[in-house]
Amino acid sequence: MRQQLKQRWQRWLGRRIPPAASVRLSQRRIFIVPTRVGLAFALALLLMLLTAINYQNSLAYALTFLLASVFIVAILHTYRNLAGLMLKAAGARPVFVGEQGQLRLRLESSARAHQAIALGWPGTAYQTRDVPAQGVSECELSLPALRRGWLRAGRLRVESRFPLGLLVAWSWVDLDQALLVYPQPLEGELPLVAGADDQLDEQGMRALGPGSEDFQGLKSYQPGDSKRRLHWKAYSRGQGLLVKDFAALSGRDPWLDFEALTGDVELRLSLLCHWVLQLSERQQPFALRLPGQLLAPASGEQHRDACLRALALFGTPG
Amino acid sequence: MSGPAVIPRISLTWLLVAQLLVIVPHLSHLPLWIVGLWLGCAAWRIQILRMRAGYPNAWVKAGLMLGVAVGVLLSRGSLIGLDAGVVLLVAAFILKLLEMRTRRDALVVIFLGFFVVVSAYLFDDSLLAALFSLLPVTALLAALIGLQQSGVAAQPWATARLAAGLLLQAVPLMLLLFVFFPRMGPLWSLPLPSERALSGLAESMAPADIAELSRSGGLAFRASFTGEVPPREQLYWRALTFEHFDGRRWSQSAFARLPLAPAWEKQGEPLRYSILMQPSSQSWLFALDVAETSLENTRQMSDYRLQRGRPVERTLLYQVTSWPAAVREPAGSSDNLRRALQLPEDGDPRSRAWGAELKRQYPQPEQLVQAVLGHFNREPFGYTLRPPRLGLNSIDDFLFETRNGFCAHYAGAMTFVLRAAGIPARVVAGYQGGEYNPGGDYVQVRQFDAHAWVEYWQTGKGWVSVDPTFQVAPERIEQGLEEALGDEQSFLEDSPFSPLRYRQLTWLNQLRLGWDNLNHGWQRLVLGYQGAQQLQLLQRWFGRIDARVLALSLVGGGGLLLGLLALWLFKPWRRERDPQQRLFQRFERLLARHAVQRQPGEGARAFAERASLALPVQAQVIQDFAAAFEAQRYGGDGVCPAALRAHLALLRRALPWRSAATRDP
Repeated sequence: MRQQLKQRWQRWLGRRIPPAASVRLSQRRIFIVPTRVGLAFALALLLMLLTAINYQNSLAYALTFLLASVFIVAILHTYRNLAGLMLKAAGARPVFVGEQGQLRLRLESSARAHQAIALGWPGTAYQTRDVPAQGVSECELSLPALRRGWLRAGRLRVESRFPLGLLVAWSWVDLDQALLVYPQPLEGELPLVAGADDQLDEQGMRALGPGSEDFQGLKSYQPGDSKRRLHWKAYSRGQGLLVKDFAALSGRDPWLDFEALTGDVELRLSLLCHWVLQLSERQQPFALRLPGQLLAPASGEQHRDACLRALALFGTPG
Repeated sequence: MSGPAVIPRISLTWLLVAQLLVIVPHLSHLPLWIVGLWLGCAAWRIQILRMRAGYPNAWVKAGLMLGVAVGVLLSRGSLIGLDAGVVLLVAAFILKLLEMRTRRDALVVIFLGFFVVVSAYLFDDSLLAALFSLLPVTALLAALIGLQQSGVAAQPWATARLAAGLLLQAVPLMLLLFVFFPRMGPLWSLPLPSERALSGLAESMAPADIAELSRSGGLAFRASFTGEVPPREQLYWRALTFEHFDGRRWSQSAFARLPLAPAWEKQGEPLRYSILMQPSSQSWLFALDVAETSLENTRQMSDYRLQRGRPVERTLLYQVTSWPAAVREPAGSSDNLRRALQLPEDGDPRSRAWGAELKRQYPQPEQLVQAVLGHFNREPFGYTLRPPRLGLNSIDDFLFETRNGFCAHYAGAMTFVLRAAGIPARVVAGYQGGEYNPGGDYVQVRQFDAHAWVEYWQTGKGWVSVDPTFQVAPERIEQGLEEALGDEQSFLEDSPFSPLRYRQLTWLNQLRLGWDNLNHGWQRLVLGYQGAQQLQLLQRWFGRIDARVLALSLVGGGGLLLGLLALWLFKPWRRERDPQQRLFQRFERLLARHAVQRQPGEGARAFAERASLALPVQAQVIQDFAAAFEAQRYGGDGVCPAALRAHLALLRRALPWRSAATRDP
């Protein structure tokens, strides 16, 4: 029953405030009710009214009515503080599973200033921003990335209690934002088919014996070693300058192959992810083969991102 | 509450200011130690703010609370009652501010502050007090706003301006509520402020009491007449009568408290007027003879005074009709007359003898009275507020030795002599005259207008009023006390700065009268706006008034006012919905129709490039629009919707009219 109501509410919201990359908060999209503080204030006003009645004091009446009127006028002000505010998705950087995804938002004011606008997902700590008149304010919201693939940001709550805190005006905004979540990198054996580009036909898919061309571990730094292979983490732990030592992956470009691994799909993707990162760091051209997909050997950031994207979206619809 | 629980600095600043403003009006009636407590706590709080001191711990707090309770008990004698209650409220306000840490605490302090402001109204509801109270209310609202302001950049003055703006915008709605909200009687009775030292007539009178009153310039009441204001010498405002004399004091007889409506006949033209009476803590009202009032719970007593069921603790407005020519008790009742002949067992032998001799000389009461008045007129009697001391036989001493005194001496002595001569007589106390305020067309009567005169009874004519003081100092009656005292310099000698002393300075006098007129209006229109006045006003506007009319007026008027305010706040005629954005959305829709959907988060340029690939024929036009849009939006180019619109028109023309196959489902 509750679930049903929730769904109905979400559908209704979807119709009323359709997802869009930029949303201007307008009358149709803003809701407003008194806060708990507002209810306490109303109770205080009631007590003041009782005082006024019992003492037949016109000034007490006047102050009670003045504050009650301020309460009512504050409805307009609270609403106005939110109305006309433009929210825009300002992009998001892909993250790995287990990290916090950062979604950037731009709050734009087309006319007046908007003060103390709180943003966030329900159940998380809200961030508060002031938007200057005709100005822009940026805001980064974090979202835990729990599963690989596209992470939809979902409906965001934008609220304002300004000026008095007696009322809260809010809106649920779907900025149609999605965040690409890569698999969590996991260290492990190198799942590759060496030189697959010329041996593919003869050898098919085959895992090489362990060791010969693998990441061997760390060795101490010798002049002439590539600085790119320095193991900074170890250095920061005070273990001296160490270099990550790879067995010679010479000659042919390695092929990372999904099928060369065994086990659970997610585990395999995690391992592949690790190696995509490692090889990219070494600027070693490599290819990635996933069932039904082949990314030809290449190197560079674009290649890396394409591979990670393929890993992230593997097996997901769309 | 969302956000961190700490109190923003702005809010704290305004709370400290508000505390000062809230407490100042209370200073006149708060015990001194509260001021000390307040200064100490405020200093402590400021030190906390400057990180030089810590918050009080539980022991200190408990000690302070106990100290306050003991202090209230010692200075007020109890922990309940309004006076003690207000001290406790103020103390709570002070202590809570000291220990406040979170926003929630701050809210409690702010709400307490509003209550302290309300409680100040119970002690002083003058125009000045009301205007002043707007300051603490603004400061409290500013503190409330400050709680919502997150930015360190927020300025205290901007916050206060916002608070003042909110208050100003709320005023029309407040007036509507004030006029239309139905007033009802008290739901239960509450203790009233007792510490107000009220000067005024009391239930008994020794001459010195009236002299005391003559030193006060305090307002007793104001009277507005319908029609001509009667001449000054006819304005004898009756408050009460004294029938019992014990040799020194005149006092009200116990019998006078019984509600026995006396007989009287209306004669002549009535006077109609309304009286706005200052609080007196007594239950008798002021009126000219012989008065009738429509005020509820008020009746005419056996001595023709008007008596209200409960004391006048607040400004009271009532309507009176008086018949100055009425004949009172022409038949006389033996009880009443017997009481009006009472004399002490002994004392004042010479006065008694004089009375007996007069009775022999003048068998007609009227002649006898004239003879006494003539005696005062002929003999060297003097009018002074500094009479010589009188001995044990005060009437004898006054009549035959000192011969100097004021109204109370003359009225007392004459009543004594008349009684000694067998004529029923009594002393009437009240006020005489008053100052006409031409601006407001009303008479203002002050405490120094207090007066005592005599009324005696005569068969067939009933009670007749006479004023012996008129024989001695006619200028007291015709002009007023200050003129009667002449060079004596005793007029308001305790208040050298009272503007009443400088009535000869024209501009100052104008100012004083104008100010009094303003206060009169304030009391009549604002403070006196209770049940009956509200009904009267609304009936004048609407004819008939009932709950439906009230509700409709409140809702309709409120809606109208809010609508106007909303118009003024939002200025819809000025709204310009970001034209660039609107055009870009049109651009997006146009391309969507050709199966190029913008991806979430995709920028204008990336989208245009993708669209150019999909629609190579129109690539140039698409890129042109995107470039123009970006230049206007993010580059320094000025906003020019017309240029964008032109690009959009080119694009629309370049695209095939419709590609139905790829239309969105």
